[in-house]
Amino acid sequence: MSSRSSNESFRRVLGRVTQQDFVGRASELERIMAQAEPANAGRGLLLLMEPSAGVSELLRQAYDQIFNRRSDIIPIYFGITRTETTAVSAAIEFLNTFVQQYIAFRRDEPIVAHAPLTLQDLLELAPPADFEWIEQLVESYTRVRFSNDDKSLVRFCLGAPQRIPAGRGRAFVMLDGAQLAEYLNGVVVLGTEILRVFGRGGFSFVLAGLRRQILEAAHDAKSDFERLDLLRLEQLDTNEAPLLVEHVAKRQQVATSEAARDLLVQQFAGSPFFISSFLQAAREKRTSLLTYLDVERLYVDELFGGHIHRHFADVLEETSPRLDTRNLLIRLLWEAAAGEERTSSFEVWRKRLHVAPNELEEILHRLHVQEFVNWDGATVEAGVGPQAWKDYLKIRYRLDVLNEPRALVVADALADALKRAPHTMARHYKQIANTGLRESISRFNTQMVPAVLFDYQGFSDKYKGAENDAIVSGLAAETELIKLPQTVHLASCLSFNSDMKQICEEDHCFVAHTFEEGTYSDAQQVVWLAADIESKLEVDADVVRAWYERLEHMANRLGFTRIQVWLISNEGFSEEASRLLKRRNAFGSSRQQLGLLASRVRETVASPVMQTSDSDEFLIVVPMGEDNELIAANTAEQIARRLTFRPEAINQIKTAIVEACINASEHSFSPDRKIYQRFRVESDRLVITISSRGIVPANLNGANSGTEDKKAAEERRGWGLKLIRTLMDEVEFERVDDGTSLRMTKYLRTGSS
Amino acid sequence: MDTPSGKLVRSHCVGTTAVVYASDYLNKLTGEKIERECRRQLNCGCRALVIDFSDTKLVNSIGISILLGIIDVAEKNGAQIVFSDVNHPTVELFEMLGLTRHVVLAKDESEALMNLSRLETTPPVVH
Repeated sequence: MSSRSSNESFRRVLGRVTQQDFVGRASELERIMAQAEPANAGRGLLLLMEPSAGVSELLRQAYDQIFNRRSDIIPIYFGITRTETTAVSAAIEFLNTFVQQYIAFRRDEPIVAHAPLTLQDLLELAPPADFEWIEQLVESYTRVRFSNDDKSLVRFCLGAPQRIPAGRGRAFVMLDGAQLAEYLNGVVVLGTEILRVFGRGGFSFVLAGLRRQILEAAHDAKSDFERLDLLRLEQLDTNEAPLLVEHVAKRQQVATSEAARDLLVQQFAGSPFFISSFLQAAREKRTSLLTYLDVERLYVDELFGGHIHRHFADVLEETSPRLDTRNLLIRLLWEAAAGEERTSSFEVWRKRLHVAPNELEEILHRLHVQEFVNWDGATVEAGVGPQAWKDYLKIRYRLDVLNEPRALVVADALADALKRAPHTMARHYKQIANTGLRESISRFNTQMVPAVLFDYQGFSDKYKGAENDAIVSGLAAETELIKLPQTVHLASCLSFNSDMKQICEEDHCFVAHTFEEGTYSDAQQVVWLAADIESKLEVDADVVRAWYERLEHMANRLGFTRIQVWLISNEGFSEEASRLLKRRNAFGSSRQQLGLLASRVRETVASPVMQTSDSDEFLIVVPMGEDNELIAANTAEQIARRLTFRPEAINQIKTAIVEACINASEHSFSPDRKIYQRFRVESDRLVITISSRGIVPANLNGANSGTEDKKAAEERRGWGLKLIRTLMDEVEFERVDDGTSLRMTKYLRTGSS
Repeated sequence: MDTPSGKLVRSHCVGTTAVVYASDYLNKLTGEKIERECRRQLNCGCRALVIDFSDTKLVNSIGISILLGIIDVAEKNGAQIVFSDVNHPTVELFEMLGLTRHVVLAKDESEALMNLSRLETTPPVVH
């Protein structure tokens, strides 16, 4: 077959979005394309999808790319839908789709792939060279169809791609089985049949679907795993998911803000399915998504009656068609999600649901496949699944089981979602801030690093107050080095001991199984227990002691024989705490040391003044740190001079800006590490707004922070706000969804200011 | 005994008094440098400190909290401390945050040294 010239425009065939609008999944797309290559002829790729991770558009994009290549690989995409009610009807639809897409490709006419055509119509459209074999295929199909042998019919239809005569190209079948879960029952188990037929068909294929179901089907079909490759498809990561929100919002013409975008990403855990459904709902309801309130109102609407509601309701109805059982199931699932006892026996479930064992098995199997429960045959763990599922269950429980007034449930759901939003973001920001620790430990691989990076006191003695360049060159000249071990396994300490949840968050404490020298022997095995202690000041000995004992206790319980405790604190440790660490052979590092270590185990990685559309308003965005507050202060000086503020007032403004910037840097786990500064010139005043994204500190509530009773050092660090209030005429915290925004006003007093 | 200029803190000694020069912006980093230099001078036997702010145009609250730390260290070492040539806005800040209750301010370095020599010759008050 001839290849088209590369400069010819790319045609969208099945893709619902353009290539440019398809966000993320680059490596997965590449992997699927590789599966179509001759080197993988006859091999299958199982695309194991996390529920709601979304796979359909990925496969459609792959289809379009292969279609446009015009090579001898003939792409076939078939998505199993809920409208096909039996394995037989789905298989017949597959046959129809196969013939249609084959002819579309052979005729190089994308429109044929979309048209509503019968097999007879397609036969008339078949190119002369293909007419004969397609006619035979249709005749054979007609015979098998009326043979009353469903299994034979299903196998015949699914095996159609192998009937392509030699020299007419090779089929590459991509089967989207995201909805395959609806075919768990019946005489013919569709997933198993697909794998049996495709596995022996001699053509390359991709079978995508819910991971638990696809793996189970492969085992049931006794698939030859040597001829199968696996690709796991999880939710989008924190780089790709915001891009998806932006692209879909633009396509759906939904206005969004960065704060709302990030909330969506976190609330839906990067799920393309939920994000796309949600933005579609926003378009349908002509709703902007600019504030947390906008997002949560629509979210609650969605839970009560939108796309998300329908998705969960369909799963529940298919899982448990009988209403009485369904209500009992909702009750059981919600109580498990809300309570402490998440795990119970199969028998307990059977008694609570009042169903026969085989019926319960079917229910649990469906829930297990959707990952709403974890069921191993004997015990059932509920309370798992995405947040939206838990919120949906709670609503259904209150409406259907408790019969509470709908208005009350709606109001509570909205209030709960709004209250949760800042916590959701705070958790995310803290995770970002702690990425350095996780990443650093995971990259330990017998590198030699200066020992002083694990000794806060030693580091402080040598380098406190030194310029970064001086520190880097000093570290390069250090002769006392330690060899890092090789990390072979790293997990949050909560994965080992859930009690730790009361003390720290998931990404604040890690257990790393390591081997010294990379030698895998008992003698060389050391478990590193690393904890990041939240503190704005140097951590004292009591806190260090408590943390050490906590970690040591956990190590004893878990049977770790050799441990290395490593504590990290933002500002390091007091002298006494450092001595304690040394006595216990534990390491202690400040965040600065961690940063330096991180740059040694990996290569690590900042804003001009812009005038806004308003001629009296200036916007500066500066990266946090590096004395960048001076840039803002100097800009303010220039602007204040235009307004003829007296030098003394200008100094006061500058100092206030410096303090506000320091506060923004110190008090937020800022995701972008930027400070946004707006200077608005009015006839009698200068209004300055300093904003940053991140966590709103509890003490920055606009009221006096009441530091009198706190320790002197803490009090000193609380001086910034006190100074700002004294130096400026009006100081006000503006309410923002994400982070802080401090508005400061200085009035121009004729003759005095 | 001037230390080299550049990124280090400039200082020199007059008798047993160390004069340490603060930079144009007193923040955490430069404050820590001054603290380090003051500690070094005290460890070397200096009995009094003058911190000269003639170059200092701007200070922030972290810098001021470090100055308080230096005052504490000086007190613990029985050393006198004087701040010289502090500009008016900075004096205001020091007053707002109560720093002037703990330190003597002098117009310039000469006045600071003179104040210190006067204090040295004054016999200690016995309670």
